[in-house]
Amino acid sequence: MTEPVRTTLDDPALVRVRGLTTVLNGKTIFDALDMDIPRGKITAIMGPSGTGKTTLLKHITGQMRADAGSIHVNGDNVAELSREQLYKLREGIGYLFQNSALLTDFDVFENVAFPLRQHTRLPEVLIRNLVLLKLQAVGLRGAAQLMPNELSGGMARRVALARAIVFDPMLILYDEPFVGLDPVALNQVLKLIRTLNQTLGITSVLVAHELEAIKQVADHVFLIANGKVVAQGDPKTIASDGSPWTRQFFGGEADGPVPFQYPAGDYAEALGFAGAAK
Amino acid sequence: MTVREPQRNNVVSQSLAQIGACGLFLLTLLAAIPRSFRYARETIRQLWFVGAMSLTIIMVCGLFVGMVLMLQLYHVLSIFGGTSASGMVVALSVYRELGPVVTALLFAGRAGTSITAEIGLMRATDQIDAMEMMAVDPIAYVATPRFLAGLIAMPLLCCVFCAMAIFGGHLVGVTWLGIDNGTFWSNMTAQVDVHTDIVNGVLLKSLAFGAVVSLIAVFQGFTTPPTSEGVAYATTRTVVASSIAILALDFVLTAFLM
Amino acid sequence: MSQQRSSYAVGTGLFIVLGFAALAYLATQTSSVANVHQGDSYTVQAQFTNIGQLKERAPVKIAGVRVGQVQSITLQPGHDVADVKLSIDKSYDHIPQDSVATIFTSGLLGDQYVGIQYGTAKQAVAAGGTLARTKSTEPLEEMLGKFFGAGSVVDNVGGSYSVKASFTNVGSLSAGAPVKMAGVVIGSVQSVHADPVKLNAEVVLSIDKRYDAIPDDSAAAVFTSGLIGTQYVAIQPGGSPDVLKDGDEMILTQSAMQLEDLIGKFLVNGSPGDKKDAGNGK
Repeated sequence: MTEPVRTTLDDPALVRVRGLTTVLNGKTIFDALDMDIPRGKITAIMGPSGTGKTTLLKHITGQMRADAGSIHVNGDNVAELSREQLYKLREGIGYLFQNSALLTDFDVFENVAFPLRQHTRLPEVLIRNLVLLKLQAVGLRGAAQLMPNELSGGMARRVALARAIVFDPMLILYDEPFVGLDPVALNQVLKLIRTLNQTLGITSVLVAHELEAIKQVADHVFLIANGKVVAQGDPKTIASDGSPWTRQFFGGEADGPVPFQYPAGDYAEALGFAGAAK
Repeated sequence: MTVREPQRNNVVSQSLAQIGACGLFLLTLLAAIPRSFRYARETIRQLWFVGAMSLTIIMVCGLFVGMVLMLQLYHVLSIFGGTSASGMVVALSVYRELGPVVTALLFAGRAGTSITAEIGLMRATDQIDAMEMMAVDPIAYVATPRFLAGLIAMPLLCCVFCAMAIFGGHLVGVTWLGIDNGTFWSNMTAQVDVHTDIVNGVLLKSLAFGAVVSLIAVFQGFTTPPTSEGVAYATTRTVVASSIAILALDFVLTAFLM
Repeated sequence: MSQQRSSYAVGTGLFIVLGFAALAYLATQTSSVANVHQGDSYTVQAQFTNIGQLKERAPVKIAGVRVGQVQSITLQPGHDVADVKLSIDKSYDHIPQDSVATIFTSGLLGDQYVGIQYGTAKQAVAAGGTLARTKSTEPLEEMLGKFFGAGSVVDNVGGSYSVKASFTNVGSLSAGAPVKMAGVVIGSVQSVHADPVKLNAEVVLSIDKRYDAIPDDSAAAVFTSGLIGTQYVAIQPGGSPDVLKDGDEMILTQSAMQLEDLIGKFLVNGSPGDKKDAGNGK
């Protein structure tokens, strides 16, 4: 933890997490978590439900503060930034929400234009061109005048993606980008993630469960359980790694290091057989 | 960032915790005012939603309040031949009490609930978080414009309400019940005082009510659990808390101002 | 979208204009802006033994026309007169020094104001000067109180007996109204109904057993408490040695009077309570 954690432009890691510890409502989410997210790559973060994968993304963007440890994004310690610096940092981060989080007041065009209008004073023509460019990239230029409630889930996610990349960020965080998509939409999103990463060199972080999809797209996988990284590596090697965690997770076994039963008292006692058990 | 759930041991400490949290939220709102200047356009848009869109209900209700008030007063005052004073009594009771209070109650029902539900849904669908992520301060962009819009809209709505009530009173009193038109106006102008009745009554009270109602509405929207059940509950609470706050504040203001 | 935005702006602008128009309407059409308008003025003092309900900012009038307002009302410790400062418009600066300042009531129920009746002195009262001659508030309540019995809370009536009384007019007297003697409640009206034969109102009075020594030639009258209060029956004791008993009828009755009649009589006769001193004015 005392090693130098600064990341610079030539540092291979864009996000460097050291000793991250978070306790929420008495439950330990992260226990001295260390993680390096490589620059320019697609990184997937996997783990059983409730291990705080979304929480980790919120730590990276400074929406939540950790109880201990540090997170450096492109050389800045997120916890030490002032509000203005934090907002400056966030302009360089795209975030794709699980449920797209489009602003329901505005149509598709204005949703994508929203960050531009808030942070720049560009002429209307330029805004229009930028927005149409991004909408074209996600294949929805024709849907510019639709309202968010007229979009399907997959379309809404692509609009949200267009909004997330409108500033050409250095980092995109995808929170469960594949949930609830039909195979066609899923492949479209996969292709987009791959294209954005390759053409723009955007570092991408995916939080997802879909093993097959991740195998196709990710360069690097972190498996988190019990607040620690239990396995990491490229998707093919990690799948064949023999540890009980990876076996359960990638093999889809119901019981293993992750218990099927939520922690509970003695079963016989709960059913009223306490006397009999004695 | 995590908001601790207040201990649910009794109603009193829970209410106190709510009031305290609401007060702190007000400070956050006020502190965000300079930052929300760049979102002036949003304030105008909210002024349209909470103010101009409430105009119809306010005008109709004002008209009926004035009409029924005149009808009642006419019958009471006719017992001792004081019907000529009824226009004046309508004006005074509307300016001092009914105008601000009824406008505020209607405002809480019409605009307050929609503010709470809108913000609650924005939270439930991660729109607030999305703004945070797009480096747009949700307090300055969502909360403060709605608060300011409520603050500006209430006195204006109250003036419209009072004018409609006078119009309704005139309609019933002069046109239907046959009070002399000149007596109606001269009694009113003789007794209504610009300072005590219009500035202290209409404007100051409605400004205070507007602040309280929009604060409660925005606060409930921001603090509700982001679930459909939470939003429904928060909307109800906005109406209940606003109504109590309006009537309690009305008593305090009346005691101090009159 | 920008078109949509400008429509918001226009609508909001219209709303604001409408709101301010309503405010202007309230301020100019339904209140007298003159009430708040204060041009150049000067201050005159007057002392009153009783200011009644006079308030600060009440009007000051000459010949019924507003010329200023009451600036302040103070009571010096150790004095028994109130110091009233009158703020009068500069254009009325020739008020004779011996003018009389009087506290009037506008109408029967209206607010009180200070009226100034011009005197004959050549010298005008100076700014900051004092109007020495004043008349305090007209004791309307006192005068009327001499007419009417003062109301009081109904005693808890124990045993009671009933007497009848006929009136040609009971006004708005209704069952349950108090029956008073010397201004004190001694019973209540049990029933009021019209007599189909005699064509008058027959009122049954229920009187507390404790008051069993009321002479049988006493008179019953229908009075009103205060100016706009409820009506009640007042019993004026006679001089007969015999007393009223249960079921008796009172012969001498005085019907309800119209308020206008009462005031008219009072104004004509000048002296209150010449024959109607039923209640002993408190």
